[in-house]
Amino acid sequence: MQSHTDRYSRQIIFPCIGRAGQAKLGKSTVVIIGCGALGTVAAACLARAGIGRLRIVDRDFIEYHNLQRQILFDEDDVRNQIPKAIAAERHLRKANSSIEIEGIVADVNYRTIERLVAGADVILDGVDNLETRYLINDVSLKHRVPWVYGAAVSSDGMTMNIIPGRTPCICCLFPHMPASGRVPTCDTAGVVSSAPFVIGALQSVETIKILVGAEDVNRGLITIDVWTGAFQRLQIGDSPSPDCPACQGKYEFLDARFGARTTSLCGQNAVQVVIPGDTELSFEELARRFQEIGQVSYNEFMLRFAVDGYEMVLFPDGRAIVKGTNDESVAKGLYAKYVGM
Amino acid sequence: MSVKVQIPLPLRGSTGGLSEVEARGSNIREIIGDLEASYPGIRERLFRGDEELNRFVSIFVGGRDIRLLEGLETTVREGDEITILPLAAGG
Repeated sequence: MQSHTDRYSRQIIFPCIGRAGQAKLGKSTVVIIGCGALGTVAAACLARAGIGRLRIVDRDFIEYHNLQRQILFDEDDVRNQIPKAIAAERHLRKANSSIEIEGIVADVNYRTIERLVAGADVILDGVDNLETRYLINDVSLKHRVPWVYGAAVSSDGMTMNIIPGRTPCICCLFPHMPASGRVPTCDTAGVVSSAPFVIGALQSVETIKILVGAEDVNRGLITIDVWTGAFQRLQIGDSPSPDCPACQGKYEFLDARFGARTTSLCGQNAVQVVIPGDTELSFEELARRFQEIGQVSYNEFMLRFAVDGYEMVLFPDGRAIVKGTNDESVAKGLYAKYVGM
Repeated sequence: MSVKVQIPLPLRGSTGGLSEVEARGSNIREIIGDLEASYPGIRERLFRGDEELNRFVSIFVGGRDIRLLEGLETTVREGDEITILPLAAGG
C-alpha cells in the first residue's frame, strides 16, 4: 500500500523547497482568478504541489474549443455543461485529496473581488482580459498580497510578479489600458496551447517561490514566443514607480472609476456595454478579425457581428449592445473575448 | 545605426505580419520615425500626440525599459535589440 506521505518526496528533495518549504506550501492559500488555459495549468501544478488551500474562480462554462488547451477539462464536462470552476475542483480532487480545493462560479468585478481573494497569500492571474488584471492589481496593492500576472495569445506570452511595495506593479509599467478593440485575444488571434502551458508553468513556480520565501523571485518581465523559441527577461526596475497612482493608494479600478459599465436593456434580451475613456474602434480592422469566426457586416455607424448564438452591435466609440442575453457578465465576457478590454 | 526591432502582435498589421524588422536611427525617437517611414501607421499606434509615448506600451533597449534610461532620447548602438511591448491579454 502506497502512502500519502510520500506524495511530495520528489519536491522535498529539491533543495530550494525542502521540508520547510513544503510545510509552508501546505499552510498557504492561493486564489486563481480565471480558469482557462493558464488557470488550468496553474491549478494542476499547484494542487499537485500541495498548496494547502486552492480557490479557483471562474464565470464560464466549458466549450469544445476550450479542450485544445484547457487541460483539466474533458468532453463529459462539455456535454454536462459543468462550469469551469466546478470541473476544475472535481478533477483536481482526484489528483490530490489531501488539500482543500474550492471552485467558485462568479464574475470577478469591483464589487466581488475583495471577498473572492480574502485570505490569499498569492493571487494567480488566469483571466482573459486586461480590465480584470488592473482590478487584481488594485486589490493586490490595497491588501498587500502578491499577484502573478500572466497572459498568452497566439504563440506569445508574458509573465511578471507584482510584490506590493517591492516591485513595479502593472500600472507602473503600463499606466493605461490599451483601447478596446486593439488588444488581440485568443478568440480573435488564436492561440497555440504551448504558449499558455509555458506561462502557466512559470506562474506556478513563481507562486511557489513567493510562498516558500525564495530570495530569487523573478523581478523582470518574462516574454516568450513558443513558435520561434525566443525567450527574454526584460528589466523593469527594482521598485514601484513614484508616479504610479495605484502604488500611491489610488485604486481606480477597485473604486470603479474605470472599467466597463454594463446595463441590461429591459425587455430586450440585450445588454449594453460601455467602455470608459477615448476609444475609437477601427471597424475595418475588427471586421477582418471577425470574418474568420462569425458573420460580420458594417457601415460607418455600426458593426454587426453574430457569433456563438449572440449578436453584437458595436459603435465607433467602443459601446456595444449584446443581443441574446440579459446577463451582464455574459455580455461583458463576450466583449472581452472578441473586442478585447 | 541599424538595429533590430521586435514587433508585438497588435502592431504586426502594420509590418505585413513581420515580428522582427530593421530600423535606423541614433535614438528611440528616430527609430520610431524610421519605422513609420517603412511601415506607415505604426507611429500613430505608439504615440499619444506628437511627443508622448502611449501609456500602454513599454519599449526596451537591450532588455532595459527606456523609462529607466533616457526615455525616447535613449541612444541606441549598432546591433541593439529593441523590444516594443504592449500589455498582453489572453489567458
